[in-house]
Amino acid sequence: MNNQLKQRAFEVSRRYFLGRGAGVSLGAMALGLLEGTRRAEAEKSPAIGLPELPHKPPRAKNVIFLTQSGGPSQIELFDDKPGLMKWAGKELPESVRGGQRLTTMTANQKQLIMPSRTKFKRYGESGATLGEWLPYHGEVADELCFIKSMVTDQINHAPAMTKYLTGHQLPGRPSIGAWSSYGLGSENRNLPDYLVLISKMKRPSDQPLYDHYWGSGFLPSRYQGVKLRNAKEPVLYLRDPDGLPRNVRRGMLNGIAELNQMRLEQTGDPEIETRIRQYEMAWRMQSSIPELNDLSDEPESTFELYGPDSRRPGSYAANCVQARRLIERGVRFVQLFHPDWDHHSRLSSWCVARCRDTDQASAALVKDLKQRGLLDETLVIWGGEFGRGVAGQGKWDSPEGGRDHHPRCFTTWLAGGGVKSGMTYGATDEFSYNVAENPVNVRDLHATVLHLLGIDHERFTFRHQGLDFKLTGVEPSNIIKEILA
Amino acid sequence: MSCLSKLVMLVVVLLIYSKICAADEVNFSRDILPLLSDRCFHCHGPEPTHREADLRLDLREAATADRDGTTVIVPGKPEASEFLARITSSDADLLMPPPDSHRKPLTKKQTELIRKWIAEGAKWGQHWSFEKPVKVTLNDQEQNQNPIDALVQRRLAEEGLSLSPVTTKQTLIRRLSFDLTGLPPTPQEVEAFVNDESPDADAKLVDRLLKSKHYGERMAMWWLDLARYSDTDGFQQDATRTNWPWRDWVIQSFNKNQAFDQFTIEQFAGDLLPNATPEQKLATCFHRNHMTNGEGGRDPEESRIDYVIDRVNTTGTVWLGLTLGCCQCHSHKFDPISQTDYYSLFAFFNSVDEDGKAGGAAKPYLKYPSPLVERAIQEAQQVVDERRPFEAKARKQAEQEFEPWLAEQMRFVEQGFTAWHLPQTRSLKSVEGTILTQETDGTVQASGPNPRQEDYRLTAATNLSRVTGIRLEVFPHASHTAGKLSRGASGELILTDVKLQVRRQGSSQLRDIEFATAVADVEKTAKGRNYGKIKDTLDDDPRNGWTTEGHDPKQKHIAVFALAEPLVLDDQEELIFVMLHRSTEGDANIGRFRVMLTDQPGQAVRSLEPMPLEALAAVKTTEVSQLDPNLRVRLLEQFLVDHGVYQRKKTELDRANTQLAQVKKAAGELNVMVLDERKEPRKTFVLERGVWDKHGAEVSRSVPEAVFPLPKEKTKDRLDLAHWLVSDQNPLTARVVVNHLWQICFGEGLVRTPGDFGLQGEPPTHPEVVDCLAVELMEHNWDLQHVLRLIVSSRTYQQRSEVSKELLIRDPENRLLARGPRFRLPSWMIRDAALQASGLLNPALGGPPVMPYQPPGVWAEMFMGRFRYEPSQGAAQYRRSLYAFWRRSSAPAFLFDSAQRRVCEVEPRRTNTPLQALTLLNDVSILEASRELARTAIQQETTVPERLNLIARRILSRSLDARERAVLEREFQMSLAHYQSHPEDALSLLDVGQPPNKSNVAPDELAAYMVIASMVLNLDEAITHE
Repeated sequence: MNNQLKQRAFEVSRRYFLGRGAGVSLGAMALGLLEGTRRAEAEKSPAIGLPELPHKPPRAKNVIFLTQSGGPSQIELFDDKPGLMKWAGKELPESVRGGQRLTTMTANQKQLIMPSRTKFKRYGESGATLGEWLPYHGEVADELCFIKSMVTDQINHAPAMTKYLTGHQLPGRPSIGAWSSYGLGSENRNLPDYLVLISKMKRPSDQPLYDHYWGSGFLPSRYQGVKLRNAKEPVLYLRDPDGLPRNVRRGMLNGIAELNQMRLEQTGDPEIETRIRQYEMAWRMQSSIPELNDLSDEPESTFELYGPDSRRPGSYAANCVQARRLIERGVRFVQLFHPDWDHHSRLSSWCVARCRDTDQASAALVKDLKQRGLLDETLVIWGGEFGRGVAGQGKWDSPEGGRDHHPRCFTTWLAGGGVKSGMTYGATDEFSYNVAENPVNVRDLHATVLHLLGIDHERFTFRHQGLDFKLTGVEPSNIIKEILA
Repeated sequence: MSCLSKLVMLVVVLLIYSKICAADEVNFSRDILPLLSDRCFHCHGPEPTHREADLRLDLREAATADRDGTTVIVPGKPEASEFLARITSSDADLLMPPPDSHRKPLTKKQTELIRKWIAEGAKWGQHWSFEKPVKVTLNDQEQNQNPIDALVQRRLAEEGLSLSPVTTKQTLIRRLSFDLTGLPPTPQEVEAFVNDESPDADAKLVDRLLKSKHYGERMAMWWLDLARYSDTDGFQQDATRTNWPWRDWVIQSFNKNQAFDQFTIEQFAGDLLPNATPEQKLATCFHRNHMTNGEGGRDPEESRIDYVIDRVNTTGTVWLGLTLGCCQCHSHKFDPISQTDYYSLFAFFNSVDEDGKAGGAAKPYLKYPSPLVERAIQEAQQVVDERRPFEAKARKQAEQEFEPWLAEQMRFVEQGFTAWHLPQTRSLKSVEGTILTQETDGTVQASGPNPRQEDYRLTAATNLSRVTGIRLEVFPHASHTAGKLSRGASGELILTDVKLQVRRQGSSQLRDIEFATAVADVEKTAKGRNYGKIKDTLDDDPRNGWTTEGHDPKQKHIAVFALAEPLVLDDQEELIFVMLHRSTEGDANIGRFRVMLTDQPGQAVRSLEPMPLEALAAVKTTEVSQLDPNLRVRLLEQFLVDHGVYQRKKTELDRANTQLAQVKKAAGELNVMVLDERKEPRKTFVLERGVWDKHGAEVSRSVPEAVFPLPKEKTKDRLDLAHWLVSDQNPLTARVVVNHLWQICFGEGLVRTPGDFGLQGEPPTHPEVVDCLAVELMEHNWDLQHVLRLIVSSRTYQQRSEVSKELLIRDPENRLLARGPRFRLPSWMIRDAALQASGLLNPALGGPPVMPYQPPGVWAEMFMGRFRYEPSQGAAQYRRSLYAFWRRSSAPAFLFDSAQRRVCEVEPRRTNTPLQALTLLNDVSILEASRELARTAIQQETTVPERLNLIARRILSRSLDARERAVLEREFQMSLAHYQSHPEDALSLLDVGQPPNKSNVAPDELAAYMVIASMVLNLDEAITHE
């Protein structure tokens, strides 16, 4: 471990557990919990991140990243190309394709154009067009900012998702959530800064959600996203074994603390002091975390807003409700993952199924945040690792047709947190194949998100193996100024 | 003052003065080069493409050359040097490094240092690690010491410090045992060592440990982390590989104390050695341990390039301590390695006979039978043999209970038997607008709108004491198309999915209920993802589902869905049964149906046959003896399904049998991924910006000159590369290796960036020690144990690790080594130590991987159910963590902060977080070890203090002092009181892991001691190298 990192780890653990600034003592925190003050506000106190951050006044305090894994089709959902009808079944002109790589799944097949399987509709004052599979999105269209010119250079899931979330296609870099946690910390002392929620699905997905997607890479592991499982044990090893009631556990922890204290006096090793505090933190997490999975105090109106699926714990919709609750509790970065957008076949049942899982709840989350006055300070991001190609995979004119991966253009939308609402940025060509104006690289998106959080991506570095790494990497990246409110 | 004393004074003053002078001279490699590297080389270093103003500051000639009248550095004349002007300029446009470069400005102290260096003649030199290591000369007095101690004490003396006293013998044996075998000493070993007063007691102990077969395991864990060894591919399907014979080869190599040069040569080029043995070929698996990606749409060539790159980078990190990865895209910005150098190294690995595929197609393979499988099979067989009689006994007992049950059932069905019951409908809804009307017999008819896709949602309550299955009947009707099954164009139906949920009245939340199987009277034969099979209604995928197309559409059809677990509802709860019609084209919604429930278990709901009790009801006899034997068997099966005790024993036996079948698969020849050269070598090109298909200039195999050059004819193949790495001329390898050994013993290396000995890495805390050990290693024929012995027998190593406040403030990271190392043990060692302390440890060496306990669902979640983790049964559960199956995408959960094994990792991960606490408090391995240790304490000792002491001696290698004993006694009494008053808690707590074969200890007492053992296993001291 290098010096800088050690110093930092020391600083963080010291500040984190010795009251973290603002004079909040550990005892006071524990007391707050013991007295049963479970209200979200009671757990908050000023966040402690890097002393030099934020670099500038932040527009967004928190982030909710609605990650749609697999590559949602921009052609069916966002990027209306009515002109494609006349190209139906014709070969994609080579001038458009321009030698673009195909995956080996369709490389040997003729690239015959399959126009959108959906009709598009205009919504709101902004007049945003959306595919008919996203009716609820229409209701909040005036709150969203669609970036239709997203570009990546990865054509397969794992590398593309790794890039979308960490800035680099190979595993090993910190995810954007981990960077945020490292830089800014969070206001909640009893919860991790960065929480990950994964939709519970029945169907085995072909794209595993690797934990490096929310990993801390070379940053200390305390910054990695903590996956909140929808299981008896929301966090691994959180649950005490059967037959070990809380009073016995408390006694054990008291004893361990006393004996560790004796050892601390004998050895003088400050690590022991930290360990004592971490065992106390573990004890507190055992009550603060299971409480998160309990939505029973939400009123009926919440579930009506987020849709029937929100009543099923672990569903995407229930996770959207969770996300709002976590933001209210001061968690810095909440990331949802919804798998299985990889519709290579039967678009109009497969893609529709994922829309049904997510449409109402995603829109409800934006509405709900707005109603509660949280949207201004919360940046919501919706998107997947790449888009889908205009050519049909399988027979273009059969119901079985689907679409292959497409890195050259895809849509990501943002809402709240200092982003202009009711806006569309960037455009694709008439085939939704290449970006026609204002390309936004993944690293530009990252630079913009950091900017909204008050961080200058150029100055936000971490030294590892002798190099100063940053989320946006070495190639030039730009903040998308046009979409800033 | 006498003349003499004046003279002495003068001499002393002069001596001190000269020392200051000498110490004061600026050392280029120590003082200047790091500054140049950090602030300047980014734009003025070895990398050409980003070079500004065509200026290089890494070469003396370039920096001192005349550039149109100005000279950047004029040796001896700081004022004439443009360099100094620019780094001290107050004009932001001129200042270096430029403010917009985001590099730290130079401090005043640093610019002064540069001024002084230029004034002293701007002496240039090489970065320290590129110079050949040389042993520093020791004076006569130092000659008698371990050279480590002599050199560490020199440094300490400069600081006015000295070594701490030697630690206690208990701590020393504990430290040595962990460092050299990864296991704590037994109480007997501690006692023997403490009582051994012979002068060579330490040396004997070290010898014993180095000869222990566990030495190889300990060292292998070091090597496996940096070799990124894993039992799976890592991407996408994360397929299993069978490379573990290589892991065993590593253990054996360390146990043989194979010389490190040979160890290197075999792993790089075992296949190229003359008359290569199978084991030498096996060794090359090192360079195949990288991740492999078989993702559907991926170009295998891109993957292959990734693998070659991984090999080059791993070689750089492990042997050279260089971050070669940087040169994949551009020449190194700091170290003298060019992009051409990089791809010249790449060329050595570029002609392996591989094609970038993964899974079962990742050739080249070596067919290798492991001699260590037989033992594992016997062990697995033994578990089956042990469990079979228990299962048989439980079955016998159950069969006896069957007779009275059967008699009761016969009476019960005399008045007839109703298999399926109508639930009480609470609501019946469609999502898209179809009108659903229920008739008196429970049948539901659809009418009104006929949307393309539709969901039906039936909410109902039931009086059944439990629900085990649901039957769906679909009927033709005159109102349907052509009187068939639906109102769609074809009159056929497609049911894509069904769901079952439970809702409690007044609650906003639903609970999902799992189905296990689905059967139907008829279904369409469907290939691939298409509509046909009833079982496809369980996967929540609208691309497949059930249709009866092709069968008589004017007949009623039936489907039965079996629940995974019997469902017991209370009177506040109701069922929601959802039928989804979401096929791609739709228009195939069921027109008429009825839903009914049953409480009959097992086969009764897994087939459409009459249920056993139905059949029984149909039999006219009341005599048990006259029953049809077949029916009797079916009834018995049904009875057993519900027999808890029998089911438990059966499950245990089933698990043992599954394990046996698994282990047997490892018998015979395994495919181990190895290196093998293609006949026709591939051409190698520089890859522009590191992109796999952007070919630049062609390059041939050669080694980076800056490390040390070899003529072309000596760099023909991987064998030559290996010889170059372990050549006595190579300044890096030996240094990097001894630094690793130091890190094993001290927790941190002498170079604290073990993977970066380059300009951006940290300089060594004790350069002379690094060099001395490196030379020792080479002079002693690359004997790792020689160096380890030298390290662990030093006074430096044997110091106490206790630290005073003053020293802690002075040297918080122990860079001066004025105290012994104190650091948390690696997580794998913590688990192994708990197994050893509890007596559970299975010390067997090698063989197929095992599955230590981990929380349920970890794999299933990540892969949405594709993989399930089944913990090993019997003794296999208690193997060392080294043998734990390593799924790359989900490393063993109990290793809370280990290396991830995706890419080579050499820095220790040592977090101190709540996760560590939670893992050690709640991991089944630790809890089970606590229970078994508690049992031993109760059985072997009689009084409370003696038992507590036994626990402490087993875990901490020492007895308790009075204060500690008081705390533990207090907690023991409190726990005991709890378990005496809550015996059911004691039984649940003890029911962890695998049950012991026999136990005659009182549960409340055992539980209370288990609490104590768990506490002690959680102490900082228990998990710390002291």
